[in-house]
Amino acid sequence: MSSPAVQVRSRVPRLAGAAVERARLTVVPRARVQAPKVPFVILVSLVMLGGVIGLLLFNTSMQQASFAATALEGQATNLAARQQTLEMELERLRDPQRVAERAQRMGMVQPGAPLFLQLGDGEVLGEPTAAAGQLALQPVPPAMPEVLDPAPEVTIVQPPEGELPGDRDGRGDGAGEGTRNSSGDTGDNAASGTRGQGRNGSQEQSQQSQQSQDGPRSARR
Amino acid sequence: MPRSRPQGRPVGGLRGSPQLRLRIGFVVIAMVLSVFAGRLVQLQGVDPRAYAEMAAAEGTVEVVLPAARGDIVDRNGEPLAESVEGLMVVADPFMTVDRAPEIARFLARRLGVDYVETLTKLREDGSRFEYIARRVPATLATDVLAAAAERGFEGLDTRRDPVRAYPAGEVAANLVGFLGTDEALGGFERTFDDLLAGSDGSARYEVGGGNRIPLGDNTVQDPVDGADLHTTIDRDLQFFTQTVLRQTVVSSGGESGVAVVMDRRTGELLALADYPTFDANTPLEAPDEDLGSRAMQAPYEPGSVQKVLTMAALIDAGLVTPRTRLTVPGTLFRQDRPIGDWFDHGRIRLTLAGVLAKSSNIGTVLAADRFRSGELRRYLRAFGLGERTGVGVRGESQGILPAGSMWTEQTEDRIAFGQALAVNALQMTAAVNTIANGGVRITPSLVQGAATTDDGAEVGTETAVTSRVISERAAHQTMLMMERVVDPEAGVAPAAQVPGYRVAGKTGTAQRAGDGGYDGTFTVSFAGFAPADDPRFTVYVVVQAPTNGGGGGSVAGPAFAKIMSYALRRYGVPPTDTRPSRLPVEW
Repeated sequence: MSSPAVQVRSRVPRLAGAAVERARLTVVPRARVQAPKVPFVILVSLVMLGGVIGLLLFNTSMQQASFAATALEGQATNLAARQQTLEMELERLRDPQRVAERAQRMGMVQPGAPLFLQLGDGEVLGEPTAAAGQLALQPVPPAMPEVLDPAPEVTIVQPPEGELPGDRDGRGDGAGEGTRNSSGDTGDNAASGTRGQGRNGSQEQSQQSQQSQDGPRSARR
Repeated sequence: MPRSRPQGRPVGGLRGSPQLRLRIGFVVIAMVLSVFAGRLVQLQGVDPRAYAEMAAAEGTVEVVLPAARGDIVDRNGEPLAESVEGLMVVADPFMTVDRAPEIARFLARRLGVDYVETLTKLREDGSRFEYIARRVPATLATDVLAAAAERGFEGLDTRRDPVRAYPAGEVAANLVGFLGTDEALGGFERTFDDLLAGSDGSARYEVGGGNRIPLGDNTVQDPVDGADLHTTIDRDLQFFTQTVLRQTVVSSGGESGVAVVMDRRTGELLALADYPTFDANTPLEAPDEDLGSRAMQAPYEPGSVQKVLTMAALIDAGLVTPRTRLTVPGTLFRQDRPIGDWFDHGRIRLTLAGVLAKSSNIGTVLAADRFRSGELRRYLRAFGLGERTGVGVRGESQGILPAGSMWTEQTEDRIAFGQALAVNALQMTAAVNTIANGGVRITPSLVQGAATTDDGAEVGTETAVTSRVISERAAHQTMLMMERVVDPEAGVAPAAQVPGYRVAGKTGTAQRAGDGGYDGTFTVSFAGFAPADDPRFTVYVVVQAPTNGGGGGSVAGPAFAKIMSYALRRYGVPPTDTRPSRLPVEW
């Protein structure tokens, strides 16, 4: 056991001795190299300053833009509102009711039937008719309350005996009764209609209703 | 051994022991930390979102980006209803109370609001928010606010409040409807609200001093604007129709009226007028019953116009021809009650064309006797009676067509000349249009393209369907008979003639059903089309309860002529330049 240990021990000093001999260390002399500090400091300062100022400017310009954006948005809203108001105004002016009223005030009338000129053979289609006059454009005023507008008192006077009651219904009335198209009236005249279709109700009832219809008429006459 | 530590108390008093000090220190730290921990749990565990929102709300502004409501336009793109940016003027009485009279006078002058009312609002005790004026055009509101600021008035502000404008006022108001303060209340506005409304967006950003902070939190959700609703209405024609209808109803002393103009070829309704109507800008000033569409919602007995359908069905079934000879007695005694005509006559000899031209009830009943059982009802169903037209108007009545089990011989007699059934004006227009269109019925429509109503139905021109009801030959023969109605000698309604054009039509005078029977008033009407041999428009005019004693020919006829003449002129329809029908009316 001891012999290899002795061998190692005897060899090591030899090796170590040579290595130590070779690498005898000495302290490196302190070589103070003075790097120029100023450019670096200036560079860093510049970078920092540039950064700060740049950021500041950027921020300021962004704020500026934001102010401008707010102002412009407000302006855009105003202008859009103005445009819409003007469009509304325009629509009000184009209201058919208003246009028709203006036209009639200027003396324009509703035309009669149109005539068509055929360009091919120069033939005129249609029937020349007079103008149809003006339309009643004004809406009816609202009805008066009943208190202010009581129903007229109507007294029904029966015609004397022996006198013909006359053509009360349809034909006879047409001319005098404010129904303008006398002959056409008779078509389905109210009074006569009572008699016709009224048959489906009881006979008495229809006679009554005819009487009551005639009533106001005779009163009006 | 006085130096041994564990034995006695430190010499220097309580302060002496570092271990004790440390321990107390730890306890204090632990207590503080557990308070923090508790707070942390409270903040993060119990309701983190609310706190996060509160934190975010500091300096954050959230604004609603309003979606623009779609317009309702007519067939040419003219607006019937449009949205305009508007503002409401609000006041904080707390700040205005001191100078209330001054401010009220200023506002009354500039905004046209009531002085006393405004004064009361500006002095309202304990309130910090009062509406001064709503739906003010934006320009006016901002002008007023600027002027107020100049005068040094404080406590006035504006909020967004879009204005819905109906530039044409009464025109088509019964169809278009109106908006309430915040929601759609009637007509198309309500029926197609989903389409028109769109959905609001929102924007959220941080502000400082009234300006948006760049690079701050910023989220934007764009609004989706509502779509426009394109109707088939022609605004000018609608206006003219409404004006003529008003004149007609007022001059005849009637109660109400309806007028319909339909494009024969497409079933599009160019005008659907109701009287009385209302101004859509001020719907609250009109009575409730005027706010809907009578044309669609109030069924009535059509009277003699119905004879056209009866005759057309008879001819189509091959049971009669226009020249079929009928001997018409003065009175026809039927099962329950006698049937009479509107004019006194003894036994007269009329052709079928004559029966229609003279509007004889008895003749119609005699002709209708030839129907086989159930045949008339089948035809009327095909003409579209008893079934909603589904054009997209709210609360449309389906009318009354007696069910098969209720269809007795008496019922059939009366239905043949237009009693014992009820229709709405549009059903009748579409039925008469069937004859104008060569026997093919087209479902009417009020909306161009397609739109979905609030109850999920798809309506519009795209969904229009056609169905053949009678043969082309039968339709043509019926047309020739209808032409005799406006003949000055043969017919009863020469006033319905349109100069230069061939017109086919039919008058109607029906008793109106009141409570428990006929109440002595009448429904007078005229339906027709022109030019008769190549129709372009079908027009139907109905006046309820005229008090001047006029009938279909004299009241509704002239209105028909005016409206038809205007429509033909407006659309440049030339006369056909053919000879009118000369069918014999007597034999």
